[in-house]
Amino acid sequence: MKLKAPPVFAKRLLKWLIADAIYDDLEGDLQELYQDRVEEVGAFRARVHYYKDVLMSVRNSTLRRKLNFYNPLVMYKNYLKIAMRNLLKYKGYSFINLFGLALGMAACLLILLFVNNELNFDGFHEKKANIYRLDEVQTFGAVSAQKVALSMYPMGPNLLADYPQIINFTRFWGYGSKTLLEFENEQHYVNSVTRVDTSFLQMFDFEIIMGDKETALKGNNNMMISQSVSKRIFGAENPMGKVLRTSDEAMQFTITGVFADVPDESHLQFEALLSIGAWDEERRQNGWGSNYLNTYLQLADNVDIPALEATFDDFLVKFMGEETLDYYELFLQPLNDVHLGSMDITHDYNNHKKFSRGSVNIFMILALFVLLIASINFMNLSTARAATRGKEVGVRKSIGAFRNQITGQFLTESVLLTLIALILGLVLCRMSISPLNNIIDRELSMSLLMEPLNALLIVGVAVSIGLLSGVYPALFMSGFNPVLALKGTGSSGGKSVFRNMLVVFQYAVAIAIIIGTVLATQQLKYMQNLDLGFEKDLVVTLDMYGDTNEKYDLLRSELLNQPNIQGVTATTQRLGNNLHQTSMQYRTDTALVSGSSSFVGIETNYTDFFEMDILEGRGLSEEYEDDRRGRSFVINETLAKEIAPDGGEVVGTAFHFGGADTLGTIVGVVRNFNYNKLSLRVEPLFMTFPPWGWSELDVKLKPGNLQQSIAEIEAVWTELFPQRPFEYKFLDEHIGQMYKSEQQLTKVISILSGLAIIIASLGLFGLASFTVRQRLKEMGIRKVLGATVPQIVMILSKKFTILVFIAFLVAAPVTYWLMNSWMAGYEYQVGIGIGIFLLVGVTSWLIALVTVSAQSLGVARSNPVKTLRID
Amino acid sequence: MRGTYLGELEELVLLSVASLTEEAYAVLVRTEIEEKANRTLNISAIHSCLYRLEDKGFLESYYGGATQKRGGKSKRLFKVTAYGYKTLKESQEVKQSFWQSIPQLTTKNEIKGTPGFC
Repeated sequence: MKLKAPPVFAKRLLKWLIADAIYDDLEGDLQELYQDRVEEVGAFRARVHYYKDVLMSVRNSTLRRKLNFYNPLVMYKNYLKIAMRNLLKYKGYSFINLFGLALGMAACLLILLFVNNELNFDGFHEKKANIYRLDEVQTFGAVSAQKVALSMYPMGPNLLADYPQIINFTRFWGYGSKTLLEFENEQHYVNSVTRVDTSFLQMFDFEIIMGDKETALKGNNNMMISQSVSKRIFGAENPMGKVLRTSDEAMQFTITGVFADVPDESHLQFEALLSIGAWDEERRQNGWGSNYLNTYLQLADNVDIPALEATFDDFLVKFMGEETLDYYELFLQPLNDVHLGSMDITHDYNNHKKFSRGSVNIFMILALFVLLIASINFMNLSTARAATRGKEVGVRKSIGAFRNQITGQFLTESVLLTLIALILGLVLCRMSISPLNNIIDRELSMSLLMEPLNALLIVGVAVSIGLLSGVYPALFMSGFNPVLALKGTGSSGGKSVFRNMLVVFQYAVAIAIIIGTVLATQQLKYMQNLDLGFEKDLVVTLDMYGDTNEKYDLLRSELLNQPNIQGVTATTQRLGNNLHQTSMQYRTDTALVSGSSSFVGIETNYTDFFEMDILEGRGLSEEYEDDRRGRSFVINETLAKEIAPDGGEVVGTAFHFGGADTLGTIVGVVRNFNYNKLSLRVEPLFMTFPPWGWSELDVKLKPGNLQQSIAEIEAVWTELFPQRPFEYKFLDEHIGQMYKSEQQLTKVISILSGLAIIIASLGLFGLASFTVRQRLKEMGIRKVLGATVPQIVMILSKKFTILVFIAFLVAAPVTYWLMNSWMAGYEYQVGIGIGIFLLVGVTSWLIALVTVSAQSLGVARSNPVKTLRID
Repeated sequence: MRGTYLGELEELVLLSVASLTEEAYAVLVRTEIEEKANRTLNISAIHSCLYRLEDKGFLESYYGGATQKRGGKSKRLFKVTAYGYKTLKESQEVKQSFWQSIPQLTTKNEIKGTPGFC
């Protein structure tokens, strides 16, 4: 006979609601009845009956599953109380445990704030995804191909006209880094006055306070100023419609708008905007070949960038001819890449606080590693500490705790501790955020952390750390055999292999970070102290302007009359950055060769002033008529090598460059000097007396009384140019600024590596003290049997020495490889010596040894009678 | 003492278990009562009654007799305990003593349908 199964749903309902103990026989009975009924009254009615039976049974309270009212709150209260008692019982370890984790968390949070700030640079522009900066790759003769953040005046409008996928463009053309503006006979300096197209405010979302962003820059003589400039010049008055005059060019501008001060996280910085229209002359509109401004393009959605870039060659050929491709190539840089992705781009004048993406990544990796070390610490200490709680686990188990209850207890405790650590970490953050802001030159704020989503994320991560680092001790403890645990033998055992591995890992990371930091710092120091090939110390630089150039000779002789001034020279470009390139020609025995080279215009005493080495010939001199007419040239070694690759004579070679009509001669070769970053090679360079004015005056001070010297310069300056506020800058500071990104990097990683070793040592300290405690009796017996104090310290320290040694063996090769590839990016490398590795290895070993000895010494000195009596 | 009294249905179920001697389980008990007392009860009533009697100590149970028909589930078989017999007996004696003191006035009809287990 084929048996029919009773309705599944009814059966499930029964199983769900009926007490487990009687379910089987009850269900059997129902099924038996069901089968009988199938035969008697048919399947359908049997099913109905079955349902009825089930419902009746379910309704019957004596048969129903009893609900268990177990109140876990009581247990939680107990867990909390025990957790607190344990924290207070071992105050030292609790502090180490919490403080270590808090340090790690604080470091991580701060770095993440910084990373977030960097990644969101220029993030406030709504069209940011569609805005690109137009950059060039320039290849001029022997000068290495270089990416430059420059473009030509006519490029923007013609690109807009030729390409349907280009929707809009704006140029960004500095008018003056410092401009004197006159209002009612009062002079005011305004920084970064910039000429832009009308579309500028439509493409970029800078906040407008007064005026209309569509029309404010339409008129040729319109000007918009920032709120603080408005306050500075007009006070509380309404600036709209007021007229400002530039003092040297005598141009007049009407204020047609006020914008909020440009936020710090914008790579474009300006205090005033001018309409570019006033300069839109025909010679500029056809000014192909001169690069002096930035162009930004707004593209349509989903434009294929590589494909677009590929067509730019045709564009260049169309306007500049076939041979232009030998010199120029255009490429687009996404707006969100400008801040972090421009380290290899030179002549990048409008890139506020530019930073390297690599450094951001290094920060992030280091911060995560510090957090990892801290978490491992936390885990190690928790495990070690949990081991002392074997008896508690034993008691709990013998009065009926399930394994998962104990696991839960330890997990909760661990999560609780991480949350306390998080609070502590936030306090540390709060305390250290402003010093950090000073170091990295940013305006980070904690408010970002308090946003609901971020706060949730942070708490979530903290809880995960708690769970992850609590899971090992929890599982380890809950697995105790209660009998052994109560006898006190369950807590030791050979399970410390895992802990030892963690210690090795921690120390390996810490050692790697420290070696990396030391090497990076050395490299930076090396570069800053390297002989640049010119004397940069004690030199003060002053900007020169049209009006100050008129009295140049007077200024110079007045300055030289001052007692605390050694020398004065002038130039067209400051040293300590990339120098402009220009085309040049020279005559060899066989032909007239055209090429390009970097170029700087110099006063005749320039090479003497900077104490440059003349290798051949002579430097410029006042005595030669040609020198003062721009017909004598001094070139550097690289250019000399290009002109005469076989090392032949170059002095006397006929030479001329773009700006000059007449042929001059090379009169000397100067030893290569590093006018640019030391990570770059020295490019070909020539120097000559320029037929136009100076843009910078260099004044060499007498050592000793700098204050007095500066005061003398100021006195001369203000007497000659009362309209120009006195401003100056030390050359070595300017040169140091080239390494700002590196300096910030090394400062921050120094802090992080300090933290890493502190946290790792804290962990080792805690772990050592536990190991020592566990071996108290053994040491007592050894002492009774005649072991000396040094012997006991030795025994206890041996294990940790081995661990640190293994960590070193793991860390050293990895670090060597990483640092080697980092240094490859520098032209001048400090070289990675074995010494540093040994030094760091030995130092970290000593730190570990001191940490452990501090613990073991106490034991070694203690009275064995006391330790042996402990049970 | 609470729990030592027998309810009407309880007494009926207890008696049927006693009369079935072997293999007394819910389904059989139900059939037995249906036949002897002409009462059709829902199986759940029998179940709760049996478990209650077991709780009170009148019945004891053991497993046995799994069949295909029951989906392979074994039966819970019940047996009357000595205490159970004693209680049944006492209950019958109490009633008997009442019967003896009742004058023989009742008609035959009135006795019918209540075979002494009111």
